[in-house]
Amino acid sequence: MILYLSSFRNFPKLWKGSLSLALGPGHSSRCLFLTIYSGIRNQQRWFSVKTQSPQNTKGMNLLIAKSRYPRKENANSKEVASELPHLFAAGAAKKRSQVNSPQTQAHALPPVKNTIQLPTKPLNSEEWDKLKEDFKGKANFEDWIISQMAHCHSSVNVAKSLLAWVAAKNNGIVGYNLLVKYLHLCVLHKQTSEVIDVYEIMKARYKTLESGGYSLLIRGLIHSDRWREALLLLEDLKKVMIPSKRNYDDCIQGALHHQDVNIAWNLYQELLSNNLVPMLETLKAFFDFGKDIKDDHYSNKLRDILFYLRNNQLYPGESFAHSIKTWFESIPGKQWKGQFATIQKSGQCSGCGRTIESIHLSPEEYDSLKRRIMSDVIDGGDQYKKTTPQELKKFENFVKSCPPFDIVIDGLNVGKMFPKIRESQFLLDVVSQLAKKNLQLLVLGRKHMLTQGSRWRKDEMKKVQQLAHCFFAEDISEDDPFLLYATLNSGNHCKFITKDLMRDHKACLSDAKTQHLFFKWQQGHQLVITNRFPGSKISFQHSLSYDTVVQTTGDSWHIPYDEDLVERYSYEVPTKWLCLQQKT
Amino acid sequence: MSIFFKMGFSVTFLRPFTRLLAPFTLTRKRRNLHSAILQRYISPKIPALSYSSKTSASPPGELELDGWKTTMKSSIEGGGVLTVSNKDEDSLAATRELIEMWRLLGKEVPEHITEEELKTIVECASKSSKKKYLKYLYTKEKLKKAKQVKKKVKAEAREEAMRARLLESPEGDKQQDFFFLRLWDRQMSTAMNWKNAQAMQFGQPLVFDMAYDKYMKPKELNNTISQLLECEGWNRRDVDPFHIYFCSLKVDGVYHTELAKRYGEKWDKLLLTATEKSHVDLFPKNKIIYLTADSPNVMTTFKHDKIYVIGSFVDKDLQPGTSLAKAKRLNLATECLPLDKYLQWSIGNKNLTLDQMIRILLCLKNTGSWEEALKFVPRRKHSGYLEISQHSQEFVNKLKKIKTSNSFRKHYSNVHTQER
Repeated sequence: MILYLSSFRNFPKLWKGSLSLALGPGHSSRCLFLTIYSGIRNQQRWFSVKTQSPQNTKGMNLLIAKSRYPRKENANSKEVASELPHLFAAGAAKKRSQVNSPQTQAHALPPVKNTIQLPTKPLNSEEWDKLKEDFKGKANFEDWIISQMAHCHSSVNVAKSLLAWVAAKNNGIVGYNLLVKYLHLCVLHKQTSEVIDVYEIMKARYKTLESGGYSLLIRGLIHSDRWREALLLLEDLKKVMIPSKRNYDDCIQGALHHQDVNIAWNLYQELLSNNLVPMLETLKAFFDFGKDIKDDHYSNKLRDILFYLRNNQLYPGESFAHSIKTWFESIPGKQWKGQFATIQKSGQCSGCGRTIESIHLSPEEYDSLKRRIMSDVIDGGDQYKKTTPQELKKFENFVKSCPPFDIVIDGLNVGKMFPKIRESQFLLDVVSQLAKKNLQLLVLGRKHMLTQGSRWRKDEMKKVQQLAHCFFAEDISEDDPFLLYATLNSGNHCKFITKDLMRDHKACLSDAKTQHLFFKWQQGHQLVITNRFPGSKISFQHSLSYDTVVQTTGDSWHIPYDEDLVERYSYEVPTKWLCLQQKT
Repeated sequence: MSIFFKMGFSVTFLRPFTRLLAPFTLTRKRRNLHSAILQRYISPKIPALSYSSKTSASPPGELELDGWKTTMKSSIEGGGVLTVSNKDEDSLAATRELIEMWRLLGKEVPEHITEEELKTIVECASKSSKKKYLKYLYTKEKLKKAKQVKKKVKAEAREEAMRARLLESPEGDKQQDFFFLRLWDRQMSTAMNWKNAQAMQFGQPLVFDMAYDKYMKPKELNNTISQLLECEGWNRRDVDPFHIYFCSLKVDGVYHTELAKRYGEKWDKLLLTATEKSHVDLFPKNKIIYLTADSPNVMTTFKHDKIYVIGSFVDKDLQPGTSLAKAKRLNLATECLPLDKYLQWSIGNKNLTLDQMIRILLCLKNTGSWEEALKFVPRRKHSGYLEISQHSQEFVNKLKKIKTSNSFRKHYSNVHTQER
């Protein structure tokens, strides 16, 4: 063992990253030792294993098992091992890849899957013939190689020589699949003349195309002078299916590129009327193009886009936000000033100090949400699914008999927050702390919480019942719908405590509009317990007081946007804002 | 700049010979940039057909890069394909074309398609549903073809065998003594019918609740019917069959029509009870146990005096709690199989298919051993039996052995348990 380690020190540079690891715990060094050892015994095998993915522990285990076998030869092999340092390097690569170092992962890739090197320059027919002979695979050679070329972004000329070879073999006929892949390459490399050639060929040979071919042609043609034909292709596509938002995006970009604003707006309208959500790139293109246009009609349309973002709870990306800012600042005579800002807890913009819209729902919205929760989430067409009519009646009467609550607590969710603390004890902690503030509390739970057990103690539950109103549902009923109903019924000031994101209940709401309402209400009314250390005072994550949505006051705009480097989940909202205001 | 200009010059005029330029010009990336820029402005003006005359001068062995284009284009006249698409062609034809093109592209679409199927495709709401349906048709077609090929091969083999037998038969034609005529299939079915008739009289009822038609799509309903057919088949073959009830089976409802269609004229001769009445009308409520995977109660033993109800419901849409809600509404006892207790569950839904359910129940009825019964749970769904239950099961078996040897009763169950 010492021998090995000393040889590591001869290559400090190689081992910079993982030297500590190799010298570290006994297990890892033994593992390394074994791999090295097996490497010497059977070089061939070693290399075949190396190409496997680092997650493949099976191969590794096999290797170790194999290396254990010839233990008696240890003495001779040690010397051999020290003479072959490059094997150490290979072992190091494996080792490092096992601890998921990104460096070696990159080194391990790409896997040697294909047996043929893709040609880098156009080949003649003999060379293609030879390549085909070398190819051993189930797939059709031509299909396979052009797929690989499309995947690796080979140059157009190589692909062209392949097609020429195929055509020469096949009476000048090239199959549709090859043409489409070739077209893909041409579009990728922006070889517009080639695209047009292929377009002519396709027009000549085929009466209609399929969606993939159409999409590629549209994307290829919009940069050429014959971009209007892309619109015809779009029409053809419409005969069989609704074009994708990508197709519309391409056409709109093409129209804007060629200064035809009317067509672009018409296509945009059509896109919306097909119930497609436009790509943010499409919207950005309109803003980018708007910089050069000084036209009230056009700017009104851009404002409509902003309202579309508002109504559909969409947030622009970072570059889109920049485009919006640039466009606003380019409006002559209005002197818009844009800055990137954040919003303080109080709901004030750090840029201009204005207050952002409140998160609270309007009375009508509130009523409609309440009705929909009742009908879709709790009832849902079959009251027996989540509860029983008797229980529902009982609960309604119970809620009526109590004063409006300030806070509704999901007893089970709160109780199970910390697995190391007894459920009833933590629930009691939370309830008593809130009760000290003189709040009307409601604890929702299930009947089993009342039966004595190691997790739910009767005396503690008694105390909870003294401090708060309690309702215990049947064990097979769901308690979340009751929670939602009780909170909504108590009024706008009432909040609820649970860690649950309620996504399943949100999904029960049938239309997107109500789902947005629910999400907005949830943002404003859900409290989450944040402290990690249960002994300390319980603190809550503040619920947002302002609504994160595109908004305007006429002379100001506030637009939340997504940062490029931040990944946002669907139940989160952006934190960065674009603040635009008009100088008066 | 000057290089750029020069390049531009050369590319403009030597465009057909770009492959000759390739070895000594710039790196690929720059070249592409130049040619892309140039071609955008220049190319539309170059007539496409001019390539062929020039490229014909290329050295032998080398491929003409653009030559194929002319042949492809020239097939306008030769192939006689329509160039202008008819504006008012109906969507059916267009869809047919689309599918044909997809097939050329190597996508998973069927080769032949009927008008009806085409209509279904046109009516599909989204692109993905279209693709899904096409893939379904594709696999169906493929299976059918494979079957036909197999059939053909088999027929040929049989013919071959026949011929071989004919050659050697003359001397092997002597009389042999047999005890039975070869009428096994018929004997079997008669025996099964007797047994089932007996079950109709004295058998334990097993109910299939047919009140789920509104929760299922046509495809799921079809699957349900297939599973029901299989259930009936397994039951028929058993030593001690259940008396099967199809409850809440509306005459001329979807279930009824489908079942009648599949069974054909056999439907009226089936030895089971199909009724429009609900199971709560036929049996006392306290004897009914509704089997559902959502139930909080776990089934411990198979009770021979209870009436088990299985919902004939294939739920691919994931509507949990549908059958539990049904049982709750009628205030019935519910139970679920003790899958977690005996099996190391790994993947998949706890909902089992109807035929698996009936085989488990039949096995329980005959042997009472969970180990045996849960063999019918698909192997992919669990990674093995749990140790603890194995021990306890052995213990139970030992107890049973002692008990039965004392009472000198030979049971079917013991035969099985001793075998293991």
